[in-house]
Amino acid sequence: MMNAIKNYIKSLFLLELLRGLRLTLSRLFRRPFTIQYPDERAPQSGRFRGLHALRRYPNGEERCIACKLCEAVCPALAITIESEPREDGSRRTTKYEIDLLIVETRIFEYHFEERGKHVMTKEMLLEVGDKYEAELAADRATESAYR
Amino acid sequence: MSDSSTPEMVTIEVDGQELQGPAGAMLIELTDKACIDIPRFCYHDKLTIAANCRMCLVEVEKVPKPLPACATPIMEGMKVFTKSDKARMAQKGTMEFLLVNHPLDCPICDQGGECELQDLALGYGRDISRFSENKRVVADKDIGPLVATDMTRCIHCTRCVRFSEEIAGIRELGATGRGENTEIGIYIEGSMQSELSGNIIDLCPVGALTSKPFRFTARAWELVQQPSIAPHDSVGSNILVHARGSQIMRVVPDRNESINEVWISDRDRFSYEGIGSDDRLTTPRIKTNGVWHDVEWQVALQAVADGLRTTSADQLAAITSPTSTLEELYLAQKLMRALGSSNIDHRLRLGDVRDQDSAPAFPGLGCSIADLESLDAALVIGSNIRKDQPILAHRLRKASNAGAELHFINPVDFDFVFSVANRLIIGPAGMVGATAAVAAALLEANGKSVPADIRNLCTASEVDQGAKAIAGSLQQAPRSMVFLGAIAESHPDYSVLRSLACTIASECGGQCGYLPQSANSVGACLAGAQPHRGVGASTVSDSGRGLAALVEGGMSGCVLLGVEPEADCDDPAHVIAALEDCGFVVSMHAFTTETLEQVADVMLPIAAFGETSGTFVNAEGTWQSFSGVVPPRGDARPAWKVLRVLGNVLDVEGFEYESSEQVRDELHRACEGVGTDTSQHGNCYTTALDVGLMRVADVPIYSTDALVRRSPALQKTGDAASFLARISHAQAAQLGLSDGESVSVVQGDARQVCTVVTDTRVPESTVWLSCGTAKAAMLGASIGPVSLEKGSGEGML
Ligand code: SF4
Ligand code: FES
Repeated sequence: MMNAIKNYIKSLFLLELLRGLRLTLSRLFRRPFTIQYPDERAPQSGRFRGLHALRRYPNGEERCIACKLCEAVCPALAITIESEPREDGSRRTTKYEIDLLIVETRIFEYHFEERGKHVMTKEMLLEVGDKYEAELAADRATESAYR
Repeated sequence: MSDSSTPEMVTIEVDGQELQGPAGAMLIELTDKACIDIPRFCYHDKLTIAANCRMCLVEVEKVPKPLPACATPIMEGMKVFTKSDKARMAQKGTMEFLLVNHPLDCPICDQGGECELQDLALGYGRDISRFSENKRVVADKDIGPLVATDMTRCIHCTRCVRFSEEIAGIRELGATGRGENTEIGIYIEGSMQSELSGNIIDLCPVGALTSKPFRFTARAWELVQQPSIAPHDSVGSNILVHARGSQIMRVVPDRNESINEVWISDRDRFSYEGIGSDDRLTTPRIKTNGVWHDVEWQVALQAVADGLRTTSADQLAAITSPTSTLEELYLAQKLMRALGSSNIDHRLRLGDVRDQDSAPAFPGLGCSIADLESLDAALVIGSNIRKDQPILAHRLRKASNAGAELHFINPVDFDFVFSVANRLIIGPAGMVGATAAVAAALLEANGKSVPADIRNLCTASEVDQGAKAIAGSLQQAPRSMVFLGAIAESHPDYSVLRSLACTIASECGGQCGYLPQSANSVGACLAGAQPHRGVGASTVSDSGRGLAALVEGGMSGCVLLGVEPEADCDDPAHVIAALEDCGFVVSMHAFTTETLEQVADVMLPIAAFGETSGTFVNAEGTWQSFSGVVPPRGDARPAWKVLRVLGNVLDVEGFEYESSEQVRDELHRACEGVGTDTSQHGNCYTTALDVGLMRVADVPIYSTDALVRRSPALQKTGDAASFLARISHAQAAQLGLSDGESVSVVQGDARQVCTVVTDTRVPESTVWLSCGTAKAAMLGASIGPVSLEKGSGEGML
């Protein structure tokens, strides 16, 4: 009974609406959170997963040995790998393609203008890796304590 | 072991469950049967027990230490615990030791995902290694183009060693060193000799031995597995085809105790590589003015129909491959006979048709494949059985190990992996004499008079002693058989050999059997793909002409079904010449070859192995159907469908099949009651062979059919065909030739330059010059008179 009366009064005087407006009003006079992307950037964690990359060892050798576990584990079946022995007998991919649905480096800004371009080939992935290797290695080093 | 008393049954208790087994059986046999899981690496039910991996340790009541289940015979009242703390601790301890030296390279190991060590390490391994010393590294061995090695991964279970000794019958692999320094290696560097070598890939529980052609190309979890039947020898080994997407990635054996047990030959395992060969035909093609054009199916089929319709029936022929499926062969002959022609043949390597009308319904083994094991004596005439039908040779090896006496009459002293009691190695003409001598000796031993026909054939007196020994052995053996092999089949006196073999068989109370060459040699006879017999090997009123007669001329329209004339026929040169004279030739084949491009007018691409459903009938007469695993490449279509549509286009009745099963069932009904007696013969005792220097040829194991000829890995092995004229030392001396010299080989009108090799396996008056090479194809029939002329070509020798 008491509750019903309380609710009636609340809705009659629009108390909840006023409470909400109070929050709005208080924000109006504070500094806004919005950052002016792309002119401004939010800080990024070293663990951020952006654009994919294939990395190399310091001696230039590709790290991917075509174990195909990523292909098997990818829930979106976005990865296609084909492999064969390279001339030196080592196990390497001949084709490594990712249909870009998810991202792995800290690059998160990219776009495609044509259908089909969203499939990254092995060469493209290695190129990305080569380009950002310094950052990737540094990130991994700082995060290594938590692995 | 002819111990007839059944062994005493013993009752034991395993994990509280009561199990019964024959006394002397090993514990693991019982638990396996009862589906109680005991981890193991070295135990394999087809190999002897080594008990060296110690993974199968279990606790046995009242025994202070854990015992290996694979080497512990069961005893009455034994109480076994496979999952007790003690057993688990022992198993985990073993696993830790095994992993001490095993590399952590699962991501690059082809066995990853199907590795026994990986699987068991999940259950019995520790998460973190306590071993911080250096791991052992072992250099890889080169054991040939089929098996890749990563010997660091070896856990020394010795399955591969035991396989090569016990199953393959050649001691090729062995363990050297002791303890940590043990290494598995090949005794003689180079490639493995065994034609069953691929089986060590399946046996090796880890990734130490893996398939070289398959290397790094796919993961076990990506593959879709489908059962199929091997398309090569007449064994019909049960196989599992592993495909990824629309590509066949590898072939592994399936278990079928009555046929191939758990083994397959390397030919069955690696021939899939040929499917994607560069010369694969993927679109229908028509030749106009000597130029080939790709066309639509409709256009091509219409062209074929027009071509066949305008050919007069008696000039029309079909030459079919005995590796085609039953359905294809049946439809091909049905079409031909509907068009009024009985000129259809599949016997591409047959040397003699004289007694074809009295030949058995189909050239079957005469017993079941498993029965070969229990033979007490056998005479094999004209066969390199080890390379022709490796799985049958394995059965004979088992028989021989159990004490059977095996005898051979061969034109070349082939290397076998079993002991041969008597071998009569004599040239092609002498083979008839030697077989006649055995028959005569048997007749005499049985107190019968030797017919003059047979007596007259006994020309080779040097074999008399051996013949008597063989006759004696066959006569005494409770179970004996006589087999005619591939070389006998292409022998110009095949009819004579058949009559003699059947005489021998009946005199020794055995059977005469055949060792058919191709996957469907038997099926082709049942399907009616012969000129003189119809469906179900029934006699026909309008007998047609077989290949031998067709080659003589009078062929103006021809359908080739899966045939490469230059490589599949006994006398390629003559077949090619006949096809060149033939006005209209259609080639239905999965591949194209230069010769086919030259002789054919229309090419219809058909499905290769693994791409079509069908049925093969194996040597013992078992019908085995299989379905397609992957879709045919490009525009290729299963041949049975092509023939069915061709029937429709030609307005032939009874071509309304919806599935290959329908075709098969129709044929199956027609084959009910077909006689299985393989001991029929035509009493043919007149030899067609002269004496003198004779060529004799075998079809090397990797030249037998279109698929194997295109398998790169198999062609890299030592068994690949080579063009060499092998003669005995005495013959070389007599002809004034030396090893490595170039000579001209002259056979009929043909002449080829060839290298001479002296070989102790070759008898007098014989030149062993295998088929399977382009040059050999141009020489002529596989058995026939030949002469060798010194390099420059002057002066007959
Ligand atoms: S190579 Fe494989 S099969 Fe041979 S002993 Fe080593 S682990 Fe066993
Ligand atoms: S399986 Fe018993 S010791 Fe290896």
